[in-house]
Amino acid sequence: MTTYANPDVLVETDWVKANLGKPGIKIVEVDVDTQAYDAGHIPGAIGFNWQTQLQDQIVRDIIGKEDFEKLVGGAGISPQDTVILYGDNNNWFAAYAFWLFKLYGHRDVRLMNGGRQKWLNEPDKEMTTEKPNPQPVPYVAQPPDPSLRAFVSEVLEVARMRHKNLVDVRSPDEFTGKVIAPPGMTETAQRGGHIPGAKNVPWNTAVNPDGTFKSADELRRIYLEQQAIDPAKETIVYCRIGERSSHTWFVLKYLLGLQNVKNYDGSWTEYGNLIAAPIER
Amino acid sequence: MNHQTRVYNSIFEMLPGEENPSPLVRINRMNPSPDFVLYAKLEWLNPFGSVKDRAAWEMLRDLEERGELGNGRGVVEPTSGNTGISLAAMSRARGYHMRAVVPNRVPLEKKVLLKIAGADLDVVSDELCPAPGAGGEGSINLAKTYAKAQRHRYALPNQYENEMNVRAHYRTTGPEIWRQTEGRITHLFVSLGTCGTVTGTSKFLRAKKPDIKVIAVQPSEGHDVPGLRNVSQLGVSKLFDPSLIDEILEIDYKLAYRRAMELFQNEGLRAGPSSGLIYEGARRIIERDKTGVGVMIFPDDIFKYTANMVRHIPSLAEGLHA
Ligand SMILES: Cc1ncc(COP(=O)(O)O)c(C=O)c1O
Repeated sequence: MTTYANPDVLVETDWVKANLGKPGIKIVEVDVDTQAYDAGHIPGAIGFNWQTQLQDQIVRDIIGKEDFEKLVGGAGISPQDTVILYGDNNNWFAAYAFWLFKLYGHRDVRLMNGGRQKWLNEPDKEMTTEKPNPQPVPYVAQPPDPSLRAFVSEVLEVARMRHKNLVDVRSPDEFTGKVIAPPGMTETAQRGGHIPGAKNVPWNTAVNPDGTFKSADELRRIYLEQQAIDPAKETIVYCRIGERSSHTWFVLKYLLGLQNVKNYDGSWTEYGNLIAAPIER
Repeated sequence: MNHQTRVYNSIFEMLPGEENPSPLVRINRMNPSPDFVLYAKLEWLNPFGSVKDRAAWEMLRDLEERGELGNGRGVVEPTSGNTGISLAAMSRARGYHMRAVVPNRVPLEKKVLLKIAGADLDVVSDELCPAPGAGGEGSINLAKTYAKAQRHRYALPNQYENEMNVRAHYRTTGPEIWRQTEGRITHLFVSLGTCGTVTGTSKFLRAKKPDIKVIAVQPSEGHDVPGLRNVSQLGVSKLFDPSLIDEILEIDYKLAYRRAMELFQNEGLRAGPSSGLIYEGARRIIERDKTGVGVMIFPDDIFKYTANMVRHIPSLAEGLHA
């Protein structure tokens, strides 16, 4: 039994319970379903809305450095704090926020294993509707780390050269173009299918039925042996809008310790709309 | 209360039970075997419009008896619509507030009906990823969140885990069918959602007559039949007990809509899509078994599914506008 390459990036629900309210520990909930936080959350947790707070509201992009500083500092989080992220759907957007924190150089950020659902189903864990009232603090972020984010130009090059691992974490029906987006999703594309050369490893391959991550050995067997992702090469992961891929990005980069893993957050809603981009089905 | 004259002191007296069973109506033109007697049990004639009146009432009464309701405490429930409509109407008529948490795919008619019935409505983008083991439980989780974080405001009946859901059918549906068929029933045809219907009814009837065949139908994967679950989604139904079911038939979900329409057009039965699917299962079994006395539990009627019908039977959209 081996451990994760970076065990510090993951905390258990019991650890969170034991550390509630401790100075220097900030808990943040980020959900797909933005009503969930208001219905109830971990006591003391701040809620970030991925649609209105993590995205630039004019340009199609993540929030810029200044907006990130305002958001995070405004939530009373300073660069030295330990940030614990959790959310619904097995931490999809919590993982996206994790990626964003890392992109802007936050030192100590972690995911709560099992996310909101695990906490919800444990009888000894409390939830509240009370919102914390944090004192804003100054926050200075680092410039975005280019080693964590892939843009479409690089992806097109990989589609042509096939010199990097390309991992599509969407469902098999999205991968084969049977559907363009999961049912009920509004963000979509003009074309269905996948980027040439991509391997389809749905994001949930990495989790147990209770939403926690599979063991290091299992993950290694799945991604490195069965799927034959070559750890000597660089890797790019994508999905539809970059949230499910953040989840697998987290697994590959932090739990398995692959050296060079980027999240292509433009993902299918960018690629599937490009004129003349090569598509496989 | 008088079931002969049908004069009642309140709507609750109309709830079904052995003395006031929902009707059994025989299938004639669409029965594939002359030696098989096939009945539909019309649950849409229950006072709040579906089979879910039974579970909702049992769960609500149980909460009341345990002193869990009142003084500002109402209910919150994850629902594909019918349980919510029953619970909303019952709760409001007894003076409690009610919050329904529904997946986005629930038909518009049901969402609007919930609001008309007085429910606070949360719509959740459920079933985001059709992968088992993760996601797809958003409405249950959100309802649980309300009940956990706002305990003083919300009790959670939770039809997916509540034994009262089973007991309702053990106490009413089973005895009704036994009496209505005078013990002659050989086949029971049901669908699987929370599995309260199949578990409770089968348990009662099997105790009376162990060799009754219990046939359950399931829509094919990726289906669009509100109220039902595919095998891959049954994990959340804690009331599912395979030992009480003889056969599970997986049927192309589009047939649910097709058969529902045929039932209206040939039998005068305004059956909803889950009833259509159950009929298709019964039809297949009757072609094989040829003789017997069968009862299909038809959960609700077609009125809440007109938009779904148009989606799955596109010709219905033709000629609707001047
Ligand atoms: C229309 C419809 N059909 C069938 C069912 C399934 O019944 P049960 O939940 O008892 O298995 C339901 C219940 O949600 C329903 O609403």
